Amino acid sequence: MPGPLTRIRAASPSLVPWGWLTALAVVIAAMTPGFSRAESPLHERIDAAVEAALPQYLPEGVTPDQVLKLADDETFIRRLYLDITGVVPSADEVRAFLADQAPDKRAKLIDRLLASEAYPRRMRELFNVMLMERRGSSPEWNKYLEDSFAANKPWDQLAREILAGEPGEDDSRLGVDFWYTKRLENYGQNPVDYDALARDVGRLFFGVDLQCANCHNHLFIDDYKQPDYKGLFLLVSGTANFKDGNRTRLIEKPLTAKLEFSSVFENVPMAIGPKVPGLQEVSIPEFPKGEEYAVPPDPKKKVPGVPKFSPRRVLAEQAPESPNFRLNAANRLWWTVMGRGLVEPLDLSHSDNPPSHPELLALLATELAAHDYDIRWFLRELLLSKTYQRVGTVPEGVTIPPESFAVAQEKPLSAEQLTWSVLRATGNLAAVPGGEAVKLPALTQAIAAKPAGEAKPQPLPKLTVLQQKFEAAFANPAMEPEVEFKPSVKAALFLSNDDSILTLLEPRPGNLTERLMAAPDGAAVAEEVYLSVLGRRPSQDEQATVAEYLAQRADDRLQAVKNLAWALLASTEFCLNH
Amino acid sequence: MKSSSLCKPWEHRLSRRQVLGGMAGAAAAGLGLGSLAQPLLAQELKKQQKQVIFVWLDGGLSQLESWDPKPGTQFGGPFRAIPTSVPGLHISELMPQMAKRMHHMALVRSLCTKDNSHSAGVARIQRGDPKNRGVTYPYFGSAVAKLLGAGDSGLPPYIWVKPGGGGFIDKDAGFLGAKYGALALGDGKPPENLLRHPSLSQRDDEERNALRRMINERYARNRRPQSNEANSYVYDMASALMQRMDLFDESKVPDSDWDRYGRTEFGRHMLIGRRFAEAGVTFVKINSYGWDTHGDNFNGHLSLVPKVDQALAAMVDDLIDRGMWDNTLLIMMSEFGRTPRINGHIGRDHWPEAWSVVMGGTGLKEGAVIGKTNEQGTWVEGDEHDIGHMFHTWFRALGIDPHRVEYDNAGQPLPIAHDDCHEIQEVLA
Repeated sequence: MPGPLTRIRAASPSLVPWGWLTALAVVIAAMTPGFSRAESPLHERIDAAVEAALPQYLPEGVTPDQVLKLADDETFIRRLYLDITGVVPSADEVRAFLADQAPDKRAKLIDRLLASEAYPRRMRELFNVMLMERRGSSPEWNKYLEDSFAANKPWDQLAREILAGEPGEDDSRLGVDFWYTKRLENYGQNPVDYDALARDVGRLFFGVDLQCANCHNHLFIDDYKQPDYKGLFLLVSGTANFKDGNRTRLIEKPLTAKLEFSSVFENVPMAIGPKVPGLQEVSIPEFPKGEEYAVPPDPKKKVPGVPKFSPRRVLAEQAPESPNFRLNAANRLWWTVMGRGLVEPLDLSHSDNPPSHPELLALLATELAAHDYDIRWFLRELLLSKTYQRVGTVPEGVTIPPESFAVAQEKPLSAEQLTWSVLRATGNLAAVPGGEAVKLPALTQAIAAKPAGEAKPQPLPKLTVLQQKFEAAFANPAMEPEVEFKPSVKAALFLSNDDSILTLLEPRPGNLTERLMAAPDGAAVAEEVYLSVLGRRPSQDEQATVAEYLAQRADDRLQAVKNLAWALLASTEFCLNH
Repeated sequence: MKSSSLCKPWEHRLSRRQVLGGMAGAAAAGLGLGSLAQPLLAQELKKQQKQVIFVWLDGGLSQLESWDPKPGTQFGGPFRAIPTSVPGLHISELMPQMAKRMHHMALVRSLCTKDNSHSAGVARIQRGDPKNRGVTYPYFGSAVAKLLGAGDSGLPPYIWVKPGGGGFIDKDAGFLGAKYGALALGDGKPPENLLRHPSLSQRDDEERNALRRMINERYARNRRPQSNEANSYVYDMASALMQRMDLFDESKVPDSDWDRYGRTEFGRHMLIGRRFAEAGVTFVKINSYGWDTHGDNFNGHLSLVPKVDQALAAMVDDLIDRGMWDNTLLIMMSEFGRTPRINGHIGRDHWPEAWSVVMGGTGLKEGAVIGKTNEQGTWVEGDEHDIGHMFHTWFRALGIDPHRVEYDNAGQPLPIAHDDCHEIQEVLA
């Protein structure tokens, strides 16, 4: 029976970076025993691969043991909460986790969070940003994504549905076409940018940005050929938006001939039919004139027809057959929790930009495909790995390149993660209008009851208002991948002076400021505020500083604890997942 | 920098790596902020504290109603030309104040640029039309912010005073990254959230930021420094801006200043611009809109030009009085000039083929007049100058050698000005 690797090769595409895949069989055979034993779980094989590659990244005189360290429980629980639920853990959750003596408590927490209702919400937010790149969202699209992750829909199915963009006769996949319709909208008098659409299909689903091969073979990337680009273009260039009453749906015009083109450098005519990246060109079926349609257009009612041959459907059906699709899926899922792709940038996979760990990426891709693209299983294996659970610091004076994955990467908190985390850290999530219904992992039910009647601070802003403000302050500009940590003066001023932030620090029943006001001494204040905001206990130095500061501001303790809580919220430590 | 139809920098980085045979470390781009090939340059120049005041008349100032009048000719229009403080040099009678100060200025009358539309022209002119390298080039303001740095003012290096809305305008920065974008002061007003929140005292603000720094210091220990540096930078910048609320307080401006700059929107914005330049901001851009006079060109310019004349003259006086003239480059221009031909709506249309730019300061040759147009003002006679020549000239005036200094865009070396152009020697003293 052919192994998974042979299955990949059998597809024989032009785009796969073969150089490193062919070397792979040899590499795997020569790997450490833990790596080659197929029966050992994926997370162990991940660690073996990362450790095997480590020596080349280590400075002279530094041993692996000096670098490879597991993060403590405090770091781990915060990292995991942010990655899987999109919000920092509460102080009580951290305390409970620290007190838990079970040796397998990390694995248990991973399972609990992956099974929580917060997981699909977090995945929806993450994938909406990745797939739409801040072009916006719609309630239907959000619901489609969240339902898909709640049902643990396999990635290949999810990708196929999005690439087909068909909501279903009974609207069972309502919102699924948003990925296309948003990109096919007209802005002012500008024509629809089909090149950008084709480019995004390649980038997001196949990990290849073929744009520079639009007018000629890519000048510097041998793998990216102009026919690859044109074939990809043809898959989506016949699709358009159609206003059907007050709803927008996708229509497609019949494709009857290959696309003719030539390079801007050489005037040699070429032609190509639809072609999925990494696969062979598809031949265009010929129909007698007038018989191209399964459902003919109705010019009187101005209803467009449905062609018999749909390049977009070819794309959706064939996509998972492409090795590039598998590598991209594995690389992007790895990126979501590891903070950096094995191939970087995520959309520039080619022979001259090999993965940092070629054999590992191949392993991940084949295993993901072999497990029917089970996202939750795959993430679970990544999270169980030591590689995920490493410290984010290095020994004094030592530098280790990030692509070694010997040290945990910093991941910027998205606007969504910041919204939830600021609300939870300040103890206001349940009290914000609209915040009661937010799905959080089970333990958080302990959050305070609604405010009672007595002292009435000004009403909290609505959740939707806060979400808009956070997005305006922290999100990337549209149409740009959101992968880098990009602090801005605008965001700093927002966090410093915006009413909606500072009102969260006013004391309200059960919230952080009220708890801090009730804490008996400086040590208790320090512990509560550090656990609530940063998910860790303060160091002795920090405890002393807090006590000293509170003593210094004994005249206005309320203002002092507010200043303290703000400083933690505005810290670099808070706005990164590290 | 939104994704455009252009190639991305790392592709060129890879290509360069191939060319150079695997140059290690070229990829160490840190936060993706472009950097200089010669990091010492900014420090070197900082000592001299060069600054720029860039006045942008959006829509297109008519050269015929300002710097290059052709009275009594076919396309000359109704206005006369008047003599100036430079013997033999005449400018439009709409600029009596500047006429008295032309011996301080350098005037180029031989601009011949390419773009006929506003959307292409504004960007091309302000980017200096570098050749397409597959990246989005920074506007002049972002370029200068990058090349000269923020100086000691503690204020952002690129401030833009404009009518209408404000905010942090990242797109000006192109591949240099958001840090070098403009802080736009809509109608001269402070950006959102600049005012310290009413619930906080100065002391509170200082204390909470001191606590923040303490937490950050601990976090940054034994980590790569970039994240904390970038995050600390924006908070420090925010704090510095908050400390300078006085710059937004117009009640402190003496009456005599209002009189000299003119009690107009543009006069007020120029005055605000001068105050930020005085406070040490590296690059101050001041915009005026409404110059696209396709209809009723002459009444339009009759109303607009004298306001600009008055405020620009006051700016020249102030820069000289304050000892800033030698270190401040003052430029006034548009995206193109206007057609000599007068259309059916008594207007003038877009004319990039023959127009003028005025500048001064930083040791530029005082009273210089470079190039000329033909008798009817339709075409340049003799050498034509594109915007690339102006960028070379301006960078030279700021002490930056465009042939030596280049950007380092994540490993991709990029010229700061069009490689086929050169400085205009006659302007450089």
